[in-house]
Amino acid sequence: MRQSIVVLLLLLLSVAVKAEQTDFSHEIVPILREKCGDCHSGNQKEGAFSVNTRESTLAGGESGAAIVVGQSKSSELVRRVISTDDSERMPPEGEPLTKEQAALLSKWIDDGAPWEPGFSFGAPTYEPPLKPRMPDLPAVIDGRNHPIDRILDNFLMNDNQPLPADVDDEAFLRRASLDLIGLLPTPEERETFLRSNSSDRRDQLVNSLLARDIDYAEHWLSFWNDLLRNDYAGTGFITKGRTQISEWLYDSLVENKPYDQFCRELIAPSTPDSAGFANGIRWRGEVSAGQTVEIQFAQSVGQAFLGINLKCASCHDSFIDRWTLDDAFGLAAIYSQQPLELHRCDKPLGKMAKPAWIFDELGNVDPEAPQPDRLQQLADLLTHRDNGRFTRTIVNRLWHRMMGRGIVHPTDAMQTEPWNSDLIDFLAEDFVSNGYDLKKTLALIASSRAYQSKAERVTEHTDAQGYRYAGLRSKRLTAEQFMDCVWQMTDTSPVYIDAPFIRGRADSGNLIASLPTGSWIWTKSDSMNIPTDHSVAFRKEWFLDTVPGNVMAVVTCDNTFKLYVNGALVGSGDDWMSPQLLLLPTLKKGENEILVIGKNTGKDPGPAGMFFEARWTNADRKPASLVSDESWQWSEKLPNDRGKYKEPVDDWQSAVRVSDQSTWMPRVESKIALMFSRSNSVAGKMSRASLMKSDFLTRSLGRPNRDQIVSVRPLELTTLEAIDLSNGETLSSVLNRGAANLLKREWRSSEDLVRWLFQFSLCRDARTEELKTLNELIGSELTLTAVEDLLWAIVMLPEFQVVR
Amino acid sequence: MTENYQRREFIRQMAAAGAATLAAAEPRLLWGGEAGVLEHPRPTADSCILLWMGGGMAAPDTFDPKRYVPFEAGVPVGDVESTFPAIDTAVDHIKITSGLENIAQVMDRATLIRSHVLPDLGSILHSRHQYHWHTGYVPPQTVACPHIGAWMARVLGPLNPVMPAFVNIGQRLEGVGEQEELKAFTTAGFFGSEFGPMNLPYPEEAAQSVRPPKGMQAARFENRNRLFKKLVDQSPQREFVGDFQRESQLRAMENAYRLLSAKEREAFDISLEPKESYEKYDTSRFGRGCLLARRLVENGARFVEVTTEYVPFLNWDTHANGHETLVRMKQEIDRPISQLILDLESRGLLDRTLVILASEFSRDMIMEGKPGSKANDQATDKVDVLQEMKHYGQHRHFTGASCVVMWGGGVKRGHLHGASAPERPFVAVEDPLSVTDLHATVFTAMGISPKTVFEVEKRPFYATEDGKGLAQTDIFGA
Repeated sequence: MRQSIVVLLLLLLSVAVKAEQTDFSHEIVPILREKCGDCHSGNQKEGAFSVNTRESTLAGGESGAAIVVGQSKSSELVRRVISTDDSERMPPEGEPLTKEQAALLSKWIDDGAPWEPGFSFGAPTYEPPLKPRMPDLPAVIDGRNHPIDRILDNFLMNDNQPLPADVDDEAFLRRASLDLIGLLPTPEERETFLRSNSSDRRDQLVNSLLARDIDYAEHWLSFWNDLLRNDYAGTGFITKGRTQISEWLYDSLVENKPYDQFCRELIAPSTPDSAGFANGIRWRGEVSAGQTVEIQFAQSVGQAFLGINLKCASCHDSFIDRWTLDDAFGLAAIYSQQPLELHRCDKPLGKMAKPAWIFDELGNVDPEAPQPDRLQQLADLLTHRDNGRFTRTIVNRLWHRMMGRGIVHPTDAMQTEPWNSDLIDFLAEDFVSNGYDLKKTLALIASSRAYQSKAERVTEHTDAQGYRYAGLRSKRLTAEQFMDCVWQMTDTSPVYIDAPFIRGRADSGNLIASLPTGSWIWTKSDSMNIPTDHSVAFRKEWFLDTVPGNVMAVVTCDNTFKLYVNGALVGSGDDWMSPQLLLLPTLKKGENEILVIGKNTGKDPGPAGMFFEARWTNADRKPASLVSDESWQWSEKLPNDRGKYKEPVDDWQSAVRVSDQSTWMPRVESKIALMFSRSNSVAGKMSRASLMKSDFLTRSLGRPNRDQIVSVRPLELTTLEAIDLSNGETLSSVLNRGAANLLKREWRSSEDLVRWLFQFSLCRDARTEELKTLNELIGSELTLTAVEDLLWAIVMLPEFQVVR
Repeated sequence: MTENYQRREFIRQMAAAGAATLAAAEPRLLWGGEAGVLEHPRPTADSCILLWMGGGMAAPDTFDPKRYVPFEAGVPVGDVESTFPAIDTAVDHIKITSGLENIAQVMDRATLIRSHVLPDLGSILHSRHQYHWHTGYVPPQTVACPHIGAWMARVLGPLNPVMPAFVNIGQRLEGVGEQEELKAFTTAGFFGSEFGPMNLPYPEEAAQSVRPPKGMQAARFENRNRLFKKLVDQSPQREFVGDFQRESQLRAMENAYRLLSAKEREAFDISLEPKESYEKYDTSRFGRGCLLARRLVENGARFVEVTTEYVPFLNWDTHANGHETLVRMKQEIDRPISQLILDLESRGLLDRTLVILASEFSRDMIMEGKPGSKANDQATDKVDVLQEMKHYGQHRHFTGASCVVMWGGGVKRGHLHGASAPERPFVAVEDPLSVTDLHATVFTAMGISPKTVFEVEKRPFYATEDGKGLAQTDIFGA
């Protein structure tokens, strides 16, 4: 059969290479604009002819149809532009079309006169306002007095649509947890919530979820990493052409930094910690003029904070919106350290860009100011009280994340008309008045009845006539949410994270529990006059029956130290006043070796001491520690740079607690306590997928390569993803370990486990028929394979993978 | 059947495009709808196999022999042009170099391009040039560019609906240098993962990727799926039946289950190949990858890439000891490639399968980049005169001209296209062919207009840069 098809095709087909299609945007638009636009576009309609749209161009004017599609030779338009008769030739003034231009027009007509969908030379039908505006709230309907509901209820009423039905408590709990902190509510949390009789239990839930600052940060981190294209690995790092903003970003989210300040720190960084965003990715070798780091800066600022796409305008004046090459290069020149020459489509124009930003009506930067000042001025202009674009862009992104679709959509195209300008304007102004507080805006949305309503059922026909608001839309679990939920239910999250910082939040209010308990040690009790440049190796042999995860250590030494664990360098410090909080690498069962090389430095002999304290949580969830004390040993024999001894040391001696601990302790103990309070704050919290590098599965599930800004994740599960989920090593090994973990717990019966799993994964009780189905699978005895298959079947359910 | 299938596929894609408008940020095919005017050329090939010589295959030591000077201590490096002597091929006027004796015998089915020119990007970063070669766009770019395999998957879809449209064999993406840069183009980019590669770094383990999970018997796999479907049916969320997210997820799960239980999955299992045939391919991971590619194409794969694997300083990436490394590389590729061509031919598939051998650039004994380039010399030992064997080889990256070989899929047989200069610098002097035009040629053979355009972020994005790729039509024909 196959053979015959091949033969048939051979008979039918011959090499046919069609001449190239006309490129409307790049080839035709410039001609029409330059040669016809003055009299026949926008409001100009000489001879009743307008080239505004494809329809009006084909229709022609007083001279009849201008174009016969597919037949340039019969088209009036062509006849008139090539006419040698001065009274007929178009344009009547100025240079006639060149031969090439006329040929392009002819070919375009012969090609069928293709037109960019939606493109018009006319004034854009919509130009978004820049200024903020607080709308008047319409009247309350049915006692629903939340401001969002006042706007939307009236909108729906005027649109002759019913109000969406309220969602039940279970679905609301699951939705709010996943949206706000990216985790499933545990069966215990579910129980507590459902039992509450409080009339404002939903508001209380929203507030308590948002108060979980670490969980919140570790969920929203993925959103911001996407938007600011920050990652723990990726292109550009190998040639040192890129730096991370990970720690700054994490801390900013944990402390819920006001968004205006957040943006100012990204645009005009006062420390290197937040500079990676503005500096972009510098590739080795030559880069096109539309992709230098300066232009990347313009594009990133435009897209992330203003929903403006400057990618067209980076090469030429945009054909689809108002932005020009000057706009893009002006913004780039604010960042540029050197004079920046304008390039059109990679060709130098011999003209220098003037540093300027795009909304001149709010003021502008001083082009003569030095670069750091210009960036500061840009940051001020961006966050200007009258820059409504800035606030509308971010509240729209938050609305999109919570409600499944933007008020302006797509969220990166903020020049688009919102489907409800009162709503976006209200949210933007409320955001200003709440102090640019992202959490407050999220709480505002989550507390509306609109958010607390049933999700809209969306089919392929729903938006056929354009979008029409009819309630919240379901969201798909992101790759990170999916992994987190699976890890959460099965207790399988990885021990170590890839993000280069210590998780958690220091709590200055509760330092007592975190005060250090270790001692400062040296080789003798009076260590106040130790010669300078004196180095000592301190060793602790550490026997472990079971291996703890996440062992955090604080180390400091007067004056410098290097810490090695099992022969690997873990960290170092050169200021005893700045203790270092370090995550120890994987320890092993049996003997482990901690080695600290302490060194006394300085001009003259002086005090010397070394402090070490490691803390972790044991499997029984009890805190444990290992501290520097007299069980440590010292030797003046030093290892090589890699912390290894060529020959075994034969003179280890007992370390001595320094008699005067007060030389150091009072000045660092609160710092050390603050560090331990940070690591304590994540004790028992599983590692989150947002803190890991992407792997095959998370990439497959839609986590982007963060080389570009990708602000929206895919909505649908694809076949290749389904294959990875059906037989991929990553998920099957997690489910395998997870099933084993679940079997270790006490279950009254197999039904007990099934009920618990349904409550956890779907936030509801299993129905009778579901219990029956699963009973058939599992039988009375819980086996590893049955639990594995059960877990798989549940996490594959659309009900699991979609947030409704 | 094929015609019908393509129509169905077209309808499916239109339906998907309808759903994609819900997402709005997803790319939209421009001018390709019912009233569309974009015409795709008639395909001369249904499948495509790209044999990727990652790391920079030196043309003078492979398919474009120059003056051969054997190793001898004291010889100036610049006197050497080729480190292998020329050999005859099945075509009178085409010579290639020794070590490729088997490939020489199938050159009468090939078009050999000696004038493929690559841009000089200032300073060589292999993965950056590979990104350019595989997507047609030089990074960095403002959007994630799709691999050419993803273009075929997106525009043409799978040839056989249960076979993944885009398979990538032999390249590890974890634990190797420049892995992030490799991942950046081994992707469907803005098309989304539906059109992305199925990555099979180890051909001998490919069978596992389409089998039920390790240790799971077929019966259990089937039961598990039945359980899943039953739970779907019993889900109380009845109001979401018909919801596009629910339906697309169930459709994807069904497709995956079909592939994982379909007969075609045997194509992935190279251990099922008869011993005699297996041994012909069994020179290396690359050789076994060629065997896997053949089996996949036989079963309706659309685009398969097989790489010798790019790992910095290994394989074709010779910064030292180039000659001896190439002796090994040629042993790895020579027999499997010729066998692949012969097998496709004997199965009647060669005419409709375009096989392309290519690399991100060539190499030279002394010249880095191209004439006038400011690129740094990256040879390990920068000697003027040969002293040891390790100095003998093409240790500089050269972008002025490289070789591409194409077999089948409607290209001319025993044909030579273009030429490099007879004297150093060996830049293309006849019919230079850019990546853009080479892609246009490949796309055209596959029935994709080089002007195919998608809208992404409201901008047109073309199959070849700015839609400007011109197919090299004179290499097609009998």
